[in-house]
Amino acid sequence: RGLASGTDGESRLARLLREKFPRASAIKVVDISGGCGDMYEIHVESEEFREKRPVQQHRMVTQALSEEIKHMHGLRIFTSAPKG
Amino acid sequence: MRAAVRTAWRIGTAAALRGRAGRPLSQAAGDGGGAERGGGSGSREAVERLVREHPVVVFMKGSPAQPLCGFSNAVVQILRLHGVEDYRAHDVLQDPDLRQGIKNYSNWPTIPQVYLNGEFVGGCDILLQMHQNGDLVEELKKLGIRSALLDAEKDQEKK
Repeated sequence: RGLASGTDGESRLARLLREKFPRASAIKVVDISGGCGDMYEIHVESEEFREKRPVQQHRMVTQALSEEIKHMHGLRIFTSAPKG
Repeated sequence: MRAAVRTAWRIGTAAALRGRAGRPLSQAAGDGGGAERGGGSGSREAVERLVREHPVVVFMKGSPAQPLCGFSNAVVQILRLHGVEDYRAHDVLQDPDLRQGIKNYSNWPTIPQVYLNGEFVGGCDILLQMHQNGDLVEELKKLGIRSALLDAEKDQEKK
């Protein structure tokens, strides 16, 4: 496995997010803990977020990842609906 | 050993009576599930009182003078940019019951948490977004707080 494939944590979280947000047009997970797997940046773009306030959008993500978040030191969340 | 088991059982029973039966005992004892008992500092009633104490209430790690986490620091800095220095800040590192209680109250897993007029607004990412898109100036205006950034803009225009 090369460095380019991302960490196991990133892949697992991205897979989980794809399951929980089936209409997502873009999902990106970045380990920002230097590979320790305890801090992530989560980006999700999905039609499911349209017309929802940012805090509601973020809450959908935190609820989707509630088990994983228990083991994290922190996370950053960026959500949006597709443009157009 | 036996005393510890008896205590864990009592907490588990209390939690069960409150309709949270089925919750693992280890979890009930360990994660501050007991924080919601009675009038503890993490109870809904206690948290409710805190969030209504002031138009701007922040639950963070450390204090505004000395934040102990980058995300908490970001919230303090953003508020400072807007000239908001008079607000209530609660250091959850000082109170494990409050630390868990505030997460239960808002159904939000992380600290910092920002409350405007008693309502949960979000964490540092949301506050940053609100700061960047102008929403924070508007929300502060609704609370009767004039953002310092408005005055900064006026100074710019005068030049």
